[in-house]
Amino acid sequence: MAKVLVIGAGFAGHTAALYLGDKLGRKHEITVISNRDVFGYVPSWVWVGVGHMKPEQTIFKLKPVYDRMNVKFVHASAKEIHPDADDQYVLGEEVGTGKEIRLNYDYLVVAPGPLLNFSGTPGLGPENGFTHSICSLPHAIKTRDAYLALCDRMKKGEKVKIVIGTGHPGATCQGAAFEYIINVHKDLLKKGLRDKADILWLSNEPALGDFGVNGVQIKRNGIVQKSDDFIKAVFNDHGIRYQVQTGVTKVEQGSIHWQNYEGEEGTTDFDFSMLIPQFKGQPFKYIGRDGSDVSSKIVNPMGFVLVDGKYGLPYPELSQTPEAWPAQYQNPNYQNIFAAGIAFAPPGPISKPFTNKNNLAIAPAPPRTGMVSGVIGRVVAMNIADLITTGKMTHSERMTEMVAACIASMGDSLWDGNAVTIVMRPVVPDRKKYTNEYGRDLFISHLEMGVSGAWMKFMLHYTFIWKFKALLGWKLIPE
Amino acid sequence: MQNEQEFSKAEKFWMNFKLYQFWRFIVLNIKIYTIAVQSKWH
Repeated sequence: MAKVLVIGAGFAGHTAALYLGDKLGRKHEITVISNRDVFGYVPSWVWVGVGHMKPEQTIFKLKPVYDRMNVKFVHASAKEIHPDADDQYVLGEEVGTGKEIRLNYDYLVVAPGPLLNFSGTPGLGPENGFTHSICSLPHAIKTRDAYLALCDRMKKGEKVKIVIGTGHPGATCQGAAFEYIINVHKDLLKKGLRDKADILWLSNEPALGDFGVNGVQIKRNGIVQKSDDFIKAVFNDHGIRYQVQTGVTKVEQGSIHWQNYEGEEGTTDFDFSMLIPQFKGQPFKYIGRDGSDVSSKIVNPMGFVLVDGKYGLPYPELSQTPEAWPAQYQNPNYQNIFAAGIAFAPPGPISKPFTNKNNLAIAPAPPRTGMVSGVIGRVVAMNIADLITTGKMTHSERMTEMVAACIASMGDSLWDGNAVTIVMRPVVPDRKKYTNEYGRDLFISHLEMGVSGAWMKFMLHYTFIWKFKALLGWKLIPE
Repeated sequence: MQNEQEFSKAEKFWMNFKLYQFWRFIVLNIKIYTIAVQSKWH
């Protein structure tokens, strides 16, 4: 009987656990260790952050699902990974009691989600700083409360400044911030307060609509349209000001300090700000049999797990080398360790990086959330099932092959809500397969705005919660 | 878009015309489902 251990129960870890339970759960031991005992449907936290969805509508208990799927659940924080042969285990600390827990494994899936590195930008974040975040449910709730308090001030006639975007020169997940800024705009419109707010988009993207994936390009009626123009039109239409090519370096009470591509330093005042932090890997200790630190064999300096990608290529070469992106998400030094979701180390950025004259790198990191996380979780699970049953992996999917669909909410009303439906294939441009200058399939890639997107976003909330609860037909719903 | 930075009146009309949007809802669902399911074959 093989022992498979999954660290984390987010999009990647939970997806992997469901497929592993389905494929192997009856004959082998599948265990999930997570510091949270609920699954959180992250895409809907943007609605929690404006008070349009109750937090409890975005979560459900994991254990009943795992009981049905023949998966053991351990409610604990993983602390140490001991990867050496014949002595492979994870040490964790049980939530609530603090009791040490040892879990042996034959195969390990590292999918704990990101460490939200607020400390990477002084003054950033809701705990020790002055800004808000929607990257965790407690943060989204705190953001909602602060936002509603701001609305009360506006109702009394006060004019306010709202800044939303990225809070670090290397932050990712611009899509979530984009959804939030538009939802704030729509909510203020409905409350009759829009004229009281000056709203600014502040981001590290090289251009508007870049989203850390080098933008989205589509062909419509023979003409190539770019997300840059599209998002500009959205912001102009909504009266939202924007400032891109900007890395936030420090936040103080009511003031954001930044540098831009030109190396200029400046400050932007705010009354309310939601800025996405830099993501890092979780700070696990990787310990060899003799007690030595073996982390350099498993993770990069950012804490992301090294897998079967080609690391170290300069950007111009990487952007022309689709095979540099990992296919099976397997660590080359410890081949029974896999990483899924944000936890794997990408070989480099997707968008063109930039370093200004002050030596500040302003470059969005590659997004590996949502659909990408789910797909990688499935690929990893299926390969582990292959290794256990046949000894040979048969599944692979590079981000240079992967399709991603993203519905960016622009108001949740089913009558007058809106959303941008974005489809891109592949997520990371493959300039060898698609010979246009963008490296994308311009026929499949899609960018469209309308009420239908709001319906899709609403439908996806319930469809995915159904899938993640592993209810009837869950495998028919794609990641 | 009528120019690079603005939506035209016609575009705004179609974005909110419910019958057309219902059609787009069906088309987009089929498109996304079809390409996403292909991923499972890898």
